[in-house]
Amino acid sequence: MIRQISVFVENQPGSMMKVTTVLTEAHINIRAISTFDTPEFGIMRLVVDEPARAKESLTQNGFVTRVSDVMGVELKDEKGNLNEMLKILADGQINVNYIYSFVIRAGKAPVMVFHTDDFEKAEQVLTDADVKLVEEEEL
Amino acid sequence: MIWAKEETLPRSEIEAIQLAKLKDTARYIYDRVKPYRDKMDAAGVKPEDIRTLEDLRRMPFTYKADFKDHYPDGLFAVDKKEIVRYHASSGTTGKPTVVGYTRNDLDMWLNNVARIACMGGASADDVAQISFGYGTFTGALGLHGGLEKIGASVIPMSSGNTNKQIMFLKDMGVTLLVATPSYALHLGEEIRNRGIDPTKDLKIHIGLFGGEGMTEPMRDEMHRAWGDQFVCTQNYGMSELCGPGVAGECTQLCGMHINEDWFIPEIIDPETEEVLPPGELGELVVTCLGKEALPLVRYRTGDLTRLMYESCKCGRTTCRMENLSGRADDMLVIRGVNVFPTQIEEVLLKIDEIGPHYEILVERKNRLDVMTITVELIDDRLLDSYAKLSELEGRIKSALKSQLGLATQIRLVAPNSLKRFEGKAKRVTDLRKDGL
Repeated sequence: MIRQISVFVENQPGSMMKVTTVLTEAHINIRAISTFDTPEFGIMRLVVDEPARAKESLTQNGFVTRVSDVMGVELKDEKGNLNEMLKILADGQINVNYIYSFVIRAGKAPVMVFHTDDFEKAEQVLTDADVKLVEEEEL
Repeated sequence: MIWAKEETLPRSEIEAIQLAKLKDTARYIYDRVKPYRDKMDAAGVKPEDIRTLEDLRRMPFTYKADFKDHYPDGLFAVDKKEIVRYHASSGTTGKPTVVGYTRNDLDMWLNNVARIACMGGASADDVAQISFGYGTFTGALGLHGGLEKIGASVIPMSSGNTNKQIMFLKDMGVTLLVATPSYALHLGEEIRNRGIDPTKDLKIHIGLFGGEGMTEPMRDEMHRAWGDQFVCTQNYGMSELCGPGVAGECTQLCGMHINEDWFIPEIIDPETEEVLPPGELGELVVTCLGKEALPLVRYRTGDLTRLMYESCKCGRTTCRMENLSGRADDMLVIRGVNVFPTQIEEVLLKIDEIGPHYEILVERKNRLDVMTITVELIDDRLLDSYAKLSELEGRIKSALKSQLGLATQIRLVAPNSLKRFEGKAKRVTDLRKDGL
């Protein structure tokens, strides 16, 4: 499992930058980021190197921040691999709530992170299909 | 047409009626309503002390808070079985302000509304569409009953559903519209947008407006939307006093005539509570005369206005009140509905996921009032999914809807983003200018 942080942001110029500024000042490294298009407010999700400290810094700076689990999957950088992984989950009747990918990792295979309501089952179907799951320490 | 001869009596006769009824009222409330008796005892005034109209000043004031303290019917003077109708309006908190009517009260009320409809030019020939929301508010059923009394044909349309409103206006040959002025403007523009010209395609020629004030710029806009033939008047009332029917503009458009044989108006300085001379701007205080179910003495309306006693070209001799100049308190009128910020606060404080700070923004968009309430999100558990955030937004909206009877917009913001106040908080921003 990988811990992600979720931060409440308003849909306004500069609101995401304020989050990254706090993290930069705390010397926290951002590995993955995602937001999606919402009218007034949204949730910015990040995978960082030190989630607990990231939450602490953000909370101190007035952000509503939550740490929660997501599942990481390492994919070979080849055509069709994402499709293959999603097919495994679909065949296992696993619902993916959201998915996002890591920023480029020098010399390493790409990683997708996703959220589901049934991590146990997701882990099982992926492991059965020989898909490599990524743990936090490996990032 | 002038509906009642009492509207044209010489001042001395109006005052004689007022004094006789005031004496009866003082005796009636002292004998029948304990909260009044307690207040009068505390003020050291007995019914027999009321000998002249000036003596009214010795009587204690009645406040909106008295309705809350004696909720629901502690201010009533008659037994439940005498009541034939209840209505209710906004309270300052969760509980509404409940009012009741005996059969005589209803008759008095609707006669007073009939007077106001006549002031605005209505007659038995009119087909009237009531576009106020029905329900417990007094506006719709008040105008409905008053217009029926003068013999007009009444269509109880209620508010909303613009397409149906327009269909009835057209197909039924509606001549008279009852609405809030902002809704009438909205409707007028929607009609134009559909390529209908009210001056040619409709028979409409009278607008009777209430529920919120109509400014002169709004009246000008009303003529642009509906045509110059459209005679727009406004009227005044509040459910505590009876509902609509307290005062109305005649077609001379020089203030609203108060039905003085049923209501004694006073203007006071809201701070010092001192009675001000005629012509001064201050808070309107109204004493109801001859009400059976819910007598009301020196009621603090919270509305700021002036009184004018010069007689009017229309032939009425009753005193006129000027267009309202605002409120002595923080009450807002949103789409004709009275809203107290305390009502909103009460709802918000019960929702754990948001903080205690809030801001209220009122704007008029497309002629209609829009109220946006900004609150701070404090519970990080909601960040698990966007659905949880929208569920919270929906829950706040529906709690406010059931409290206020109004739809609101909710804006969620990060903690500490709203302004903090050290003294009196200024949480309301009203961007409406001249009601436009």
